[in-house]
Amino acid sequence: MAGAASALFLLDIKGRVLIWRDYRGDVSAIQAERFFTKFIEKEGDPQSQNPVVFDNGVTYMFIQHNNVYLMAASRQNCNAASILLFLHRVADVFKHYFEELEEESLRDNFVVVYELLDEIMDFGFPQFTEAKILSEFIKTDAYRMEVTQRPPMAVTNAVSWRSEGIRYKKNEVFLDVVESVNILVNSNGQIVRSDVVGALKMRTYLSGMPECKLGLNDRVLLEAQGRSTKGKAIDLDDIKFHQCVRLARFENDRTISFIPPDGSFDLMTYRLSTQVKPLIWVEAQIERHSRSRIEIMVKARSQFKERSTATNVEIELPVPADATNPNVRTSMGSARYAPENDALVWKIKSFPGNKEYMLRAEFSLPSITAEEAAPERKAPIRVKFEIPYFTVSGIQVRYLKIIEKSGYQALPWVRYITMAGEYELRLM
Amino acid sequence: MAPPAQAHRSPSPSQPSGKGEVSDLKSQLRQLAGSRAPGIDDSKRELFKKVISYMTIGIDVSAVFGEMVMCSATSDIVLKKMCYLYVGNYAKVNPDLALLTINFLQRDCKDEDPMIRGLALRSLCSLRVANLVEYLVGPLGLGLKDNNSYVRTVAVIGVLKLYHISAPTCIDADFPPTLKHLMLNDPDPQVVANCLSALQEIWSLEASTSEEASREREALISKPVIYYLLNRIKEFSEWAQCLVLELVAKYVPLDSNEIFDIMNLLEDRLQHANGAVVLATIKVFLHLTLSMTDVHQQVYERIKAPLLTLVSSGSPEQSYAVLSHLHILVMRAPFIFASDYKHFYCQYNEPSYVKKLKLEMLTAVANESNTYEIVTELCEYAANVDIPIARESIRAVGKIALQQYDVNAIVDRLLQFLEMEKDYVTAEALVLVKDLLRKYPQWSHDCIAVVGSISSQNVQEPKAKAALIWMLGEYSQDMQDAPYILESLTENWEEEPSAEVRLHLLTAVMKCFFKRPPETQKVLGAALAAGLADFHQDVHDRALFYHRLLQYNVSVAERVVNPPKQAVSVFADTQSSEIKDRIFDEFNSLSVVYQKPSYMFTDKDYRGPFEFSDELGNLSIAAESADNVVPAQGVEANDKDLLLSTSEKEEIRGATFNVSGYSAPLYDSSAASVQSELAIISSTSAGSAPSSSLAIDDLLGLGLSAAPAPEPASVPPSLKLNSKAILDPGTFQQKWRQLPISLSQEFSLSPQGVAALTTPQALLWHMQGHSIHCIASGGHSPNFKFFFFAQKAEESSNFLVECIINTSSAKAQVKIKADDQSTSQAFSDVFQSALSKFSV
Repeated sequence: MAGAASALFLLDIKGRVLIWRDYRGDVSAIQAERFFTKFIEKEGDPQSQNPVVFDNGVTYMFIQHNNVYLMAASRQNCNAASILLFLHRVADVFKHYFEELEEESLRDNFVVVYELLDEIMDFGFPQFTEAKILSEFIKTDAYRMEVTQRPPMAVTNAVSWRSEGIRYKKNEVFLDVVESVNILVNSNGQIVRSDVVGALKMRTYLSGMPECKLGLNDRVLLEAQGRSTKGKAIDLDDIKFHQCVRLARFENDRTISFIPPDGSFDLMTYRLSTQVKPLIWVEAQIERHSRSRIEIMVKARSQFKERSTATNVEIELPVPADATNPNVRTSMGSARYAPENDALVWKIKSFPGNKEYMLRAEFSLPSITAEEAAPERKAPIRVKFEIPYFTVSGIQVRYLKIIEKSGYQALPWVRYITMAGEYELRLM
Repeated sequence: MAPPAQAHRSPSPSQPSGKGEVSDLKSQLRQLAGSRAPGIDDSKRELFKKVISYMTIGIDVSAVFGEMVMCSATSDIVLKKMCYLYVGNYAKVNPDLALLTINFLQRDCKDEDPMIRGLALRSLCSLRVANLVEYLVGPLGLGLKDNNSYVRTVAVIGVLKLYHISAPTCIDADFPPTLKHLMLNDPDPQVVANCLSALQEIWSLEASTSEEASREREALISKPVIYYLLNRIKEFSEWAQCLVLELVAKYVPLDSNEIFDIMNLLEDRLQHANGAVVLATIKVFLHLTLSMTDVHQQVYERIKAPLLTLVSSGSPEQSYAVLSHLHILVMRAPFIFASDYKHFYCQYNEPSYVKKLKLEMLTAVANESNTYEIVTELCEYAANVDIPIARESIRAVGKIALQQYDVNAIVDRLLQFLEMEKDYVTAEALVLVKDLLRKYPQWSHDCIAVVGSISSQNVQEPKAKAALIWMLGEYSQDMQDAPYILESLTENWEEEPSAEVRLHLLTAVMKCFFKRPPETQKVLGAALAAGLADFHQDVHDRALFYHRLLQYNVSVAERVVNPPKQAVSVFADTQSSEIKDRIFDEFNSLSVVYQKPSYMFTDKDYRGPFEFSDELGNLSIAAESADNVVPAQGVEANDKDLLLSTSEKEEIRGATFNVSGYSAPLYDSSAASVQSELAIISSTSAGSAPSSSLAIDDLLGLGLSAAPAPEPASVPPSLKLNSKAILDPGTFQQKWRQLPISLSQEFSLSPQGVAALTTPQALLWHMQGHSIHCIASGGHSPNFKFFFFAQKAEESSNFLVECIINTSSAKAQVKIKADDQSTSQAFSDVFQSALSKFSV
């Protein structure tokens, strides 16, 4: 059953209650705070701790956001996945209201926080979590004093994610196709796993109730329409849509049609599990010349077409924790020793396709190794990059039609970008 | 870090501690209360904000209650909201003051602004003061009829709040039927969803006392309601969709067409961006197809991709929740993710709670084809910085080794661990090697060579040390130094903190003594002496036992301590399949995360709707742990005393028999530990059914006369049952799981029967008279659940019956499983006529 939450808490980094909302009166703030402060203290690193904990008849589910914990407590057998998701959604709502969700912003906005907590959940049942819709309920905004007397429209609406009566002078849509590449290469240079997670991120500034239709080079669709699909169509593995997309239509004829929410949202996400060639390949050789000197030679190669360029490339090379006196030379970009992460960070602003760059670094090591040597870290090389105007999957937006009954012309802007996600290459 | 709260907003010090500030506020509020000057609302807002922030940081501002209420006479919605908040916070502790607010809240419930109506109603219902409930009924009634949907959503939840403050008031005001009407007719989906939440909760809580309520609760999962909700599913918010899907998962469709219709309708929900909706849909799919094996397998294929996406995208918390669910799925269908194992490889900076579950998944999906790669990957983690994860991954390798037939490669790897010379790696690996040797003694040669080279000084963890000592004892003939290592360990007896290690040491020395007496004799003496002087009771007792055993007869002692051992084929599974099934029933809830059914971690009062089966069906029928299958007769003979004593007890208790007090202590170890509320009657004793042969004649002759049977035309059944049928609970459980349901029917009970059924026992005796024996039963009025079995007279063909009786509706739902399906209809007739004659 979908059990109800008993209370929602916002706690500071030490686990003290900043503000809370009691929904059912069966979990007290004192009880929760006592448990949670102890819990954090004991565990030291909350990162290692399960986000769902049971204590004395109460289940606590929490997420961390900056220096704040959001926590739900329940005495029932509630739906863990949905409550954790709900907490993330609540964090998004707060971010929408305060720009940043952190202790400071909560303390500055107690009243709004209470109002929000009141509307997102009633008696432990989630109600509305769309920031835009909530804004119709939330009246405490010092800069929007004229309180209109119209009833909250969202709830009278057929479309729960968009209010009526939105007006823009200039009607625009921005669509970003963002693909992040996750890759794991083992120490023999074999690709252990790779996948691509893509998202179509949209920002809409459209008046009225626009009908949008999006066309992609989706193989299933193109084949159904009897068009040639040579080399251009793509197979998407698992597609997920924002709730505004009419799923039934997509099931029927693969048309993506929707009335978008106002502002930014993720229209669609997808995953490709086809093997991809690592876009940036890094090889490292480590030589220990003596007990006191270590030399690292790194080769980074871009493995994509010359017409694309990777930007903001950052290669993080793990080095021994006790290394000192770095002496680094690079054929391109700059390298910085970051002892706080035990790493050497090599930054290359612009990395064109089919190029190879080198780095050579030398470190001194203490000649006496400690008796109780800490276990040797086996951190991987991690790479960050962005490649604009390029997608791994080859996905293309063929059209984005916007139709509104007032008949205005809207401008769609489409951008493509590929980024490194979890991009790890294991050393030796 | 505690930044000064509100420091830049309020001129007063940030942390006022004394009463000065509060009384300051009080006088300021009082000044403003009467004023009607323009701009007054702004200054009020500032003051109110101050009050609220004091309240939030824990300063008691209840002293200004009166002033706050006075100031609330305003049309400013922001002020009103803050005032409601303040009132809601202090009303519970100051019921007298709360009375003050009723007036203005009631007035606001009639405000022309729907926002204010809704807010006022919500605040009114949230006061939680029992003696004010009379003031709630009127506004709630109006709220439910309000033409604004916001007010209605609030009012619906308000009804539930009222129910929790005072259930009789809520029922007397006839709110539940109103909610039902709203649920089926309101145009606003959120109102419908809230009605559903409220009704589920109210009716489940009422069901234990009211027949009507339990009927209504059943009606929620009836076809019209389910179809109505399903047809509107796209209108609901994502959270409400979860709620509806959860309900649909409980629905039992009539035929496979219906199942396919529902699945087709919901197929697109698997593409929803909200992971909770996806999981809820998966639950529906899995539960609907439980009885259709082929389709069930297809469902696994279908849900694979969405699940894997949920794991790899989104927050780590989501991955955690989803992985817990994958784990239970993979236990049921190990093949589904066998080729996708790479999705469970850990990433370097994932939180360790995710890594831990991924390791479990890797263990679970390992099979002949992917083991090599998985183990290779796991070995990478053994050198992880995060030591707990490193340990877990070594354990995972061990688990895989224990579940595989081909362990060649794995043994090598484990031995490499031993050579890594990291204390914690060695420790974990030792424990594993020990388990491995118990299962695969043929590897002893390779393992012992490596283990022998480990210095016992480097092993400090008790478990690992115990494992090492066990191997020293067990394989002392192959390890040159064994007696001497044991000797040095014995010398340090005093310094050894762990009793477990000392116990193992005693046994190992004994074993070693039988294998290499001359070298060990001295050590044995020392160890026994040290053991006898040990302050730990167990160690002392074991030493004493060995000592006397040796004194009595050395060769007997050898047979006791060092018998030839069989390799362990399967290590005991810690969780019974019954429990696993139960967890699966509660898919998409905390049960899965905790890997425990909900009754183990929730208080009874907080169990949700539709979980009544926890109390009834807590049927770890019996002898879960009886791994040795004793023939039924054997059980009968062994347990005769027990059975007799229980039946006596039962008679003494008679009508006032308390079900929960009776939990079959000897039969059922697992149920006794949980709050089991079942009675187990295993009527294998033939003596308790003296009149059964008579009863058959009776049954054949009078099959129709007394029965108000729905099918009076049916021919009297011609099935003879064995009155002395015997079936032990273990077999029953096994059969119940294996056999398909051959018949599922609903019978009516006679009014007399309903009246007589106050405890389950009443029916048991009756049915036994008809050669239908009960194996487990439980429940309270009006819900009872029974498991019966019967055997054909001439051959050993069994019938198994699950019978759920609801006395309030006078209906019995019967599921029959049979070894010989062709006779199940005949048996059903027998069963029905027996049931219909109950107490006639």
